[in-house]
Amino acid sequence: MFHWLEQRPFFFAVMLFLTVAFAGFIEIIPDFAKASQPTVGTKPHTVLELAGRQVYIKDSCNACHSQLIRPFKSETDRYGMYSLSGEYAYDRPFLWGSKRTGPDLHRVGNYRTTEWHENHMMSPSDVVPGSIMPKYPHMFKNTADVATAYANANTQKQVFGVPYDKEGMPKLGSWEDAKAQALEDAKKVAADMKNQSVKDAVANGQVPEIVALIAYLNSLK
Amino acid sequence: MQSNAQLEYDYSVVKLFTFATILFGIIGMLVGVIIAFQLAFPELSNLAGEYGTFGRLRPLHTNGVAFGFTLSGIFATWYYVGQRTLKMSLKESKFLMTVAKLHFWLYFITILLAVVTLIMGYTTSKEYAELEWPLDLLIVVWWVLWGVAMFGMIGMRRERAIYVSVWYYMSSFLAVAMLFLFNNMEVPTMFWANGAPSSAMHSISMYAGTNDALVQWWYGHNAVAFVFTTPIIGMIYYFLPKESGQNVFSYKLSVLAFWGLMFVYLWAGGHHLIYSTVPDWMQTMGSAMSIVLILPSWGSAINMLLTMKGEWGQLQTSPLIKFMIMASTFYMLSTIEGPIQAIKSVNAIAHFTDWIPGHVHDGTLGWVGFMIMASLFHMAPRIFKKEIYSKSLMETQFWIQTVGIVLYFTSMWIAGITQGMMWRAYDEYGSLLYSFIDTVTVLHPYYTLRGIGGLFYLTGFLIFAYNMFKTATSGRVLDKEPANASPMAS
Amino acid sequence: MDQETLMTIAGYGKFFILLFVFIIFYGYAFSIYKRQKTGEKDFEKYSDLVLNDSIDATPLEKRDNSKEK
Ligand code: HEC
Repeated sequence: MFHWLEQRPFFFAVMLFLTVAFAGFIEIIPDFAKASQPTVGTKPHTVLELAGRQVYIKDSCNACHSQLIRPFKSETDRYGMYSLSGEYAYDRPFLWGSKRTGPDLHRVGNYRTTEWHENHMMSPSDVVPGSIMPKYPHMFKNTADVATAYANANTQKQVFGVPYDKEGMPKLGSWEDAKAQALEDAKKVAADMKNQSVKDAVANGQVPEIVALIAYLNSLK
Repeated sequence: MQSNAQLEYDYSVVKLFTFATILFGIIGMLVGVIIAFQLAFPELSNLAGEYGTFGRLRPLHTNGVAFGFTLSGIFATWYYVGQRTLKMSLKESKFLMTVAKLHFWLYFITILLAVVTLIMGYTTSKEYAELEWPLDLLIVVWWVLWGVAMFGMIGMRRERAIYVSVWYYMSSFLAVAMLFLFNNMEVPTMFWANGAPSSAMHSISMYAGTNDALVQWWYGHNAVAFVFTTPIIGMIYYFLPKESGQNVFSYKLSVLAFWGLMFVYLWAGGHHLIYSTVPDWMQTMGSAMSIVLILPSWGSAINMLLTMKGEWGQLQTSPLIKFMIMASTFYMLSTIEGPIQAIKSVNAIAHFTDWIPGHVHDGTLGWVGFMIMASLFHMAPRIFKKEIYSKSLMETQFWIQTVGIVLYFTSMWIAGITQGMMWRAYDEYGSLLYSFIDTVTVLHPYYTLRGIGGLFYLTGFLIFAYNMFKTATSGRVLDKEPANASPMAS
Repeated sequence: MDQETLMTIAGYGKFFILLFVFIIFYGYAFSIYKRQKTGEKDFEKYSDLVLNDSIDATPLEKRDNSKEK
């Protein structure tokens, strides 16, 4: 039997493929159904928060920050309650990260404010001496991509059945509705900020990246 | 077909991929050195506005070295080892030749596009799968082309028996195809934009949250297996016996180690599920499997070392043998380090720290990098029909790079363990002893050392590039293909 | 079916598949050993595939292109 296989590359390849494939499926599939149940109270992100999340991804904050608090005392003391699987039910993609060059951010909304973030993102080492986090002044000028954030949310709703527009959940509606809502939310964030050009931009109906990002960071609780 | 007296192997595609290996190697490693120094001197992060920050450059580094440098090295050696061990020439088939050329050009364009899009910030954020969906589609096309070339070449072979190196390349092709497809399942959002002027590049993952993480780390763990391990083992099984003129110590062992690796590697992925809901005895099995994995890994490595039995003198005379023996030594080091990190209590400290990049770089710099460079050095006299330009430059390169690697992993071991211990340190009153920033500033000397180690390695790589360039352009012309030891001018 | 039973089934499934794989693997190891011993097949000669790999070298086991795929 083995002799026969050794001589036939195509059957050999099939054998090889099966060997490699089956472990993966058995490993992953049993966990799938369970992990996708949202924890009670978990809500999908608003469009503005999603726009901020896209900024977070665009600048790969996840290269230095985790969003996964492990169930150790030293971590819950530092960051708060350990992370639960269901809290991530609406995260596409997941942003657990793999390296903590900076602290975990999964619950940063509990202990940092808009004002703190504004100063920190502009120049981290002025707020936390010795910080090695890059400065992000460009976020105060670039405009956040709210349109893509809307497409993102709508895809989640249409394709994956994420409960936007349901009772007690964030509203999505049409692109015009969502745009107006995002601007509304942006104004609330900008009210706590002091950078004049950001305030002006929001007043003119634009959403700078920093505003969206802070909305997202504040939502991490 | 048999009476072809002048039939020769065709190395045109090998040459193209060799060039790509060197080019992407320089880019990827240069970016690596830059981001290493950014962690020591953060001002470096802000020299090029938004395009030069650590976050933008890190995916460029990982993709550049993994999919630029390593993959082109794999492809270059495949088209070389494949033709030779199967005893067929690409010249014999116009079709396969076209496929191979197309494979190269599409691949090359994809990597160039990858560089541009990553700098611009188009990323899915999933590690080693950052490229956005249009590029993923391109990748699928050339991966299939590689498969067509591979199985086409196997189908045309004169030699009935298929050498074990070819098995390793095959496993890499099949496994990566599967891993890549499942992990990159993504939905372009522009189709549900509902009239909003959204970006065409953007997509979201098919899986959410924990599931996404599961698929991602199933991919991440095994991509390491089938990009950084199996094809490189395929290389050493060909190039070490060939360069030294020795028989493989035990071909039987090589066959068993192959299947052992195939069976066990994917099960070891269980150590990623340590804090999840799977039953305890299954977790234990995952950890046990990680330990079992040492056997097939060391099986191959020891097989290689024993191949040199009675010929250890070559280690002194040939820098090429030095590179390969050092590579399998680093392979042994990193395959023992990995299972150690998979032990639950060790993992609790090591996870999220610099020990992990330290571990990765033992493998990539020492094993993958050395083996690819050694393979290209071995191929150079055969594909260019020239003598290697300088042996003393090779010696210099070897020592500079070895010192670089040692600096890298020692500094990262210390940094990782220091930080892991500080994060969990309590004072006598039961409150955390260090604020987070304390655990950052303490790492400064180690980050600096790591950067210097990287700079050494990059310098060595530039010497390698120069040596290869000189070999191709002004090496002494050989009238006959060397049988074993590659000729090199002192 | 609830989660618990599903996991248990998956667990047993995994165990038996692993057992199966182990049996095949060791069966293969034994078959290699036996075939080498009885001289049915010499595995070590395949090292030659590397050492004699020029295109005009005689193939170790010539392939009859008309038969098998
Ligand atoms: C080079 C790695 C690096 C990158 C990239 C990075 N950070 Fe940081 N970050 C750090 C470090 C180190 C700290 C701790 C020192 C400090 O507070 O500045 C930190 C701290 C923070 C904090 C404060 C958390 C706390 O609990 O005090 C926030 C918020 C933050 N970063 C957000 C971000 C965002 C958003 C991005 C992406 C735009 C980002 N970081 C990118 C390294 C990084």
